[in-house]
Amino acid sequence: MAQHDGQTSGVILATVPAREGRPKIVYRQAGDRFMLVEFGDMEFDLTMSFRVLGLNQALKDHGLDGLIETVPAIRSILIHYDSTRLKPDRLIQAVEDLYEQLPPFETLTIPSRRISLPIAFNDRWTRADIARYVEHIRKDAPNIINGNNLEYGAMYNGLRDAEELMEYVMATEWWSAAIGFFPGLPFLYPLDRRYAIVLPKYNPTRPWTPEGAVGIAGPCLAIYPVASAGGYQLFGRTIPIYDPKQRNAAFAENPILLRPGDRVTFGPRVSDEELIEIREAVYNGTYEYQIDHDATFDVGEYLRFLEETREEAEAFRRRQEEAAQRTPVP
Amino acid sequence: MLEVKSGGIETTVQDYPGRVGLLDQGIFPAGPMDDLAFRMANLLVGNDPGAAGLEVTAGGAEFAFTDNRVVAVCGADMQPRINGEPIELWRSYEVKAGDTLTLGWLNGPGFRSYVAVSGGIDVPVVLGSRATYAPGEIGGYEGRALKEGDQLPLGNTGNATPGRRVKPSLVPTYTSEWVVEAVRGPQADPDYFTTEDMEFFFSHAWTLDRNSNRTGYRLDIHQWQWARKTGGVAGGHPSNILDNGYPVGAVNVAGDQPIILTVDGPTLGGFVCCAVVAMGAMWKLGQMVPGWDKLRFKEVDIAQAAELVQQMNQLISEESLEGV
Repeated sequence: MAQHDGQTSGVILATVPAREGRPKIVYRQAGDRFMLVEFGDMEFDLTMSFRVLGLNQALKDHGLDGLIETVPAIRSILIHYDSTRLKPDRLIQAVEDLYEQLPPFETLTIPSRRISLPIAFNDRWTRADIARYVEHIRKDAPNIINGNNLEYGAMYNGLRDAEELMEYVMATEWWSAAIGFFPGLPFLYPLDRRYAIVLPKYNPTRPWTPEGAVGIAGPCLAIYPVASAGGYQLFGRTIPIYDPKQRNAAFAENPILLRPGDRVTFGPRVSDEELIEIREAVYNGTYEYQIDHDATFDVGEYLRFLEETREEAEAFRRRQEEAAQRTPVP
Repeated sequence: MLEVKSGGIETTVQDYPGRVGLLDQGIFPAGPMDDLAFRMANLLVGNDPGAAGLEVTAGGAEFAFTDNRVVAVCGADMQPRINGEPIELWRSYEVKAGDTLTLGWLNGPGFRSYVAVSGGIDVPVVLGSRATYAPGEIGGYEGRALKEGDQLPLGNTGNATPGRRVKPSLVPTYTSEWVVEAVRGPQADPDYFTTEDMEFFFSHAWTLDRNSNRTGYRLDIHQWQWARKTGGVAGGHPSNILDNGYPVGAVNVAGDQPIILTVDGPTLGGFVCCAVVAMGAMWKLGQMVPGWDKLRFKEVDIAQAAELVQQMNQLISEESLEGV
């Protein structure tokens, strides 16, 4: 049995306290065929995602009998297993053994494709759905200024104007910590904290969002894979990340483009007309998605980068906090 | 070929266990809401229990056959007829080219009826399954519910088995007041819900909201006590957490409202899950009538839940059938 500190209750199957080089891990019963493995405390720490994805890969490679699949998220892995073949105690022990065998955190190298997506900021499609929201749902939404969410986004983050906000979105790589909710929807977090925009959600939520819309809520950026309801502040629109009809080579093997561990950048910046042309080229198969399949992510190098940029990131965070305090929330 | 004369309110192609292994890509398994009746129907006609068949929701569908097949209808009583003649549920029948199968309106408890055709529905396999997954517009027939004029290809009919029925004593009984076995979920007490919250959860007779479907079953609003005052960094409300994966069948509590995440549900999100419906009890959800039926959750542990699955697998076997 895994070492734990006695803090068990009905659903907490084991708690392994933090020790040198590893955070606390809590194993939670999640019904009769799932177990949730949680890292650290309930706080936002992107580096937890690297530990999660490192362990997730080890679990996939190991091929434990009775393990069906895993669902990585920002600080957790949901394990789907066959409890008639694999007992919870044995699953916990197997996860602990794998975690102990992982190389030291600072030396982890994670397979991480680099993908760049063209973006049309303040595009006509997201503006149209925002206009419908103002007409039918909420006339006085403070997050909508001049028919868009960009100007509010700039105000809330203490930026000069919408233009600077667009520059920030393009300035950082976005880390895909999880895919989910809708098919293929990525939860993307900024790797460069100097450009880490933060925003509240819509209130109430927006019944309409165009497919391909790009939005931010909290520290997280999402791309909408299908037209749907949504709560994120919308900035622009990109090309499809999900195509059930698999009309482009990028979707030949899988209608879902993005995976956990991918890095996404936005660019080039295009006009609405250019976006229409690119999207047509996606669907007629002539557009080639910009993907570096062989890229890897070096955790140690990234930790050094975080340290080098710490002061600047902290200065931006303080500026944001001051701005947020004088900005109304939806 | 199976011709759709009417798709009714919502009829979809499903297979079992659906699209397993894609939760990390945002895809719930889909498949039949009542996997017990679905698999029984397949077994009756001589198919593999997981073969693709039809899920008819709330009634009113009609199909025509273009060749000789064996069919069975299991699940809710929608007064099925072949060429206008009433047929029994849980029993396999021969049909010939030109015959029609009609399902009418619901008669008594239950909400979904399953049609198995010998050879199975031969729609393309997408990501490992033929099941319709409407949120992602994939699987089944063009990723959507059936409508008049659709032509469904059928597989080669092997050793089709007409003239069989499920032994009457083994036919599942439906009700309007369900007891659903559930296991405590990852955010149950003590650190997210209080013990009193969980006691309430496992004793209350919940009403199924009429706004319930294959993506989620909404239950009544309740003022939870909550073990935490806020959701911390994850948001203002104590039901908020940093996004994590959701188990299939989880009882997700968003603010005050519990929602059971059914087979087309969201895979990941930022709300707590207090319980998870046991795998061997998921079929009951498929037969509940939204806006009408009530359900209580009965707590079971992992070992008891595994027994339920074993009992169900025993039920779905040739020994449960007899000739007529």
